[in-house]
Amino acid sequence: MTWQTFVFIAVAGAAFGYSGYRFTLLYKMAKAHKAKAYRLDRIYERILTAIANVLGQKAVLRKKAAGIMHATIFWGFILISVGTLEQFLSTIYQPANFEFIGHSAYSALVFAQDIFTFAILLALSYASYRRYIIRPEGLGKSRDATIVICMTSSLMVAILLMNSFLILGEDPWFKDALPVSSVLAGVFSGLSLNADTSQILHGVFKWIHMLIVLGFAVYIPRSKHLHLVAAVPNTFFRSLDRAKGIKTINFEDEAVTQYGAAKITDLSWKDALDYYSCTECGRCQDLCPAYNTQKPLSPKALIMDLKDNLYRNKEKILAGKEDEITPIIDENVTEDVIWACTSCRACEIACPVFIEHTDKIFEIRKNLVMMESKFPAEVQSVFKNMETNATPWAFSSADRAQWADGLSIKTAAEDQNFDVLLWVGCAGAYDERNKKVMRAFASILKKAGVKFAILGTEEQCTGDSARRIGNEYLFQTLAKSNVETLNRYNVKKVVTACPHCFNTIKNEYGVFGGNYDVVHHSEFIAQLIAEGKIKPSKAVDETITFHDSCYMGRWNNVYQEPRDVLNSLPSARVVEMSQNHDQSMCCGAGGGRMWMEEKIGARINDKRTEQALATKAGVIASSCPFCLTMLGDGVKTKDMADKVRVMDIAELIDQSTS
Amino acid sequence: MNIYVCLKQTPDTETKIKLAADSNGIDTAGIKWIVSPYDELAIEEALRLKEKNAGSTVTAISAGPARVVEAIRTALAMGADNGIHVEIPETADSNLTAKAIAGALKKEAKVDILFTGKEAIDDGAAQVSQLVAEYMGFPYVTSLVGAEYSATAVKAKREIEGGAFEMIEIQLPALFAAQKGLNEPRYASLPNIMKAKKKEVKPLKLADVGCSDADQKIRFKNFQLPPPKQAGKKVAGDAAAQAKELVRLLHEEAKVI
Repeated sequence: MTWQTFVFIAVAGAAFGYSGYRFTLLYKMAKAHKAKAYRLDRIYERILTAIANVLGQKAVLRKKAAGIMHATIFWGFILISVGTLEQFLSTIYQPANFEFIGHSAYSALVFAQDIFTFAILLALSYASYRRYIIRPEGLGKSRDATIVICMTSSLMVAILLMNSFLILGEDPWFKDALPVSSVLAGVFSGLSLNADTSQILHGVFKWIHMLIVLGFAVYIPRSKHLHLVAAVPNTFFRSLDRAKGIKTINFEDEAVTQYGAAKITDLSWKDALDYYSCTECGRCQDLCPAYNTQKPLSPKALIMDLKDNLYRNKEKILAGKEDEITPIIDENVTEDVIWACTSCRACEIACPVFIEHTDKIFEIRKNLVMMESKFPAEVQSVFKNMETNATPWAFSSADRAQWADGLSIKTAAEDQNFDVLLWVGCAGAYDERNKKVMRAFASILKKAGVKFAILGTEEQCTGDSARRIGNEYLFQTLAKSNVETLNRYNVKKVVTACPHCFNTIKNEYGVFGGNYDVVHHSEFIAQLIAEGKIKPSKAVDETITFHDSCYMGRWNNVYQEPRDVLNSLPSARVVEMSQNHDQSMCCGAGGGRMWMEEKIGARINDKRTEQALATKAGVIASSCPFCLTMLGDGVKTKDMADKVRVMDIAELIDQSTS
Repeated sequence: MNIYVCLKQTPDTETKIKLAADSNGIDTAGIKWIVSPYDELAIEEALRLKEKNAGSTVTAISAGPARVVEAIRTALAMGADNGIHVEIPETADSNLTAKAIAGALKKEAKVDILFTGKEAIDDGAAQVSQLVAEYMGFPYVTSLVGAEYSATAVKAKREIEGGAFEMIEIQLPALFAAQKGLNEPRYASLPNIMKAKKKEVKPLKLADVGCSDADQKIRFKNFQLPPPKQAGKKVAGDAAAQAKELVRLLHEEAKVI
């Protein structure tokens, strides 16, 4: 025991005490959130994903340079933390060092620490180069980041200096395991310091090192570097499945009087943990179609603003003054921000710490629509059409089966002897362009000898757009009605050409008692080809580029099948756009945006069309009616309609088969 | 203020009209019913007036068969406080409808202001609003596109022919028939839809409002559907020949010039 022991215990106690207090507040604020989020299922999978993504840095490493930089710092810090712990313990009680693990093991440990300390310095140099010289847009400006880079660099320098003066002063047995520090010691030996001076300097740098670490403990809970702690549970509690549904409201429960999120605490603890985990890396923003077309939405800014709202309301939340909490919609999170989202989920797929941006937007929309009747004016007629005629378009429900006139397709009511129910969807039923797609797909089904039926006028809109705009009540009315109809005909397998219908029936009808084998036409056609039931034989001498629909790709992880289908076309050459697969750019129609005017910024579909045209392909292929419409419009806007065709994969296959 | 709104339930605008078996009316089977869109403007105007005048109530009234209660519920969900339903036959004419509504209104303690749509979108007769005003002894303004309200009078802006507007100052009580452009009707919030389910709709019969079958002055029979739309004709040739042929067709076939 020396004076150092007492000073250290006092300082460390104060630092960790304060840090612990701040963490308790963060925990209490998260706990005050009212919406439920159950994330304790499938524990084994959760542990595995935490190991892969925290220790393995899997998601972080999806971005090469920045990923390697981060992983170096992360792994280095784990190693160095072992040394820091040793230092803390031995400061309290001198013999409590880690040499008991054996000379060779201890040598290996300090060797790794020494190397990684240097590696972290290199990584930090790259981080600074990137942040201050390259300045990627997504990163933005951050005082927090500058503070942390300075603190971390000082920490590393302090460690190296501490060790080099240790070598000079004490000449420890493991000095050969400290190559970087030895080089430095070699430099300082030129100063010809005596052993005592070196020992003093070792002590000084050791204290600098320990104080910076304690400073970190104090600093972390209130900075973006909270991700150091929060990202670990956030990865563990992540949504395990790509495919997911929007949270279902139980309208029967009369105790529920608030639908959706008006205040920050109307969201769930997991949402709070999301804000705590955000390190403002900007990967979400880089891929956001709304942000990239000058809309006011940036997923990164949204998370930061929600976090800010939470912190601003801290006192009221902790005091339980529910009524005084300020609304989510404010000067930062405006209604325009909330309506700009196309629900494409590029942000969520990009996020290295698994923040779920869209769920927050959906909950905020629910409140705006159902509680406050606030939404873009043009949406009102869409809701009314869905209410009266079960389609967002202004057409009669009586005309729903007109697309099939003359095709002698039976309805389920006419003939219950069918294997597959063809879910037509409102676009296939009413939109002139997409009626052609539906006729082409029906033609394929006939060529393949599939026994199929349609619901005819009994089919209703799945409610996808209503739900994503926030009208959960209307969605549930439609969903329950459709489930009742599907179950009445004992439907087992559903095939649809619409990714929105696909996602809704597959992932969102289960809770209403609708459980079917739902297949998208891209998968279905791919299977028909693989089984030899249809064989594309006529040459399609075209370069084709495929546009991924968000609801097949990012929402349901189906990327390969539509490409397989296109590759089966004789003579066709399939090329990729600059953004493809899960990095693909939305057409702009998802999340109910199909029905809203795009008044702010550039048009998303134009931007995506530019990417498609850049491939010089003669055909832009799609597997979604909304994408088909948006890209078709884009090609017309670009005055390329006579040179480039926008086609559904079903039309191409139908033309190539006989 | 005691604010009243008259509304009619009509088939949805996308409905494919079929004739009833006896051709004396339309076949109502399978029809999706809505509040006539002009009446929605009337409801919205009533609600906005109520919101500006604390302590006011809005009562929605409709005359028609049992199904029209749904339309009254829609008004209640938008924010009306009370509902009155006068049960009259499906086949009622404008006179019976207006007299029944006026009869029900006269049973109310006080009617300060009355809103209707300028016409219903099904028969397009544009009769009931003025007939109600007549039976009530109220002055009225039709085709209302703007209004400034005070406690006793209204400065009304109505649309007249040729895209012009007429300004009228009118003392209350009075009736106003709403035209498109007056406002944008709101979408009912979910809590209000829930609350509307519990609000009471007062049921009245013909006899309760001093009417009888004899008040129906018009009886409809022999409805016919308009002839199906003919395919268009394309006139070929150079401009001069096209013009000549067009004139001939308009003169000899269409007989419009």
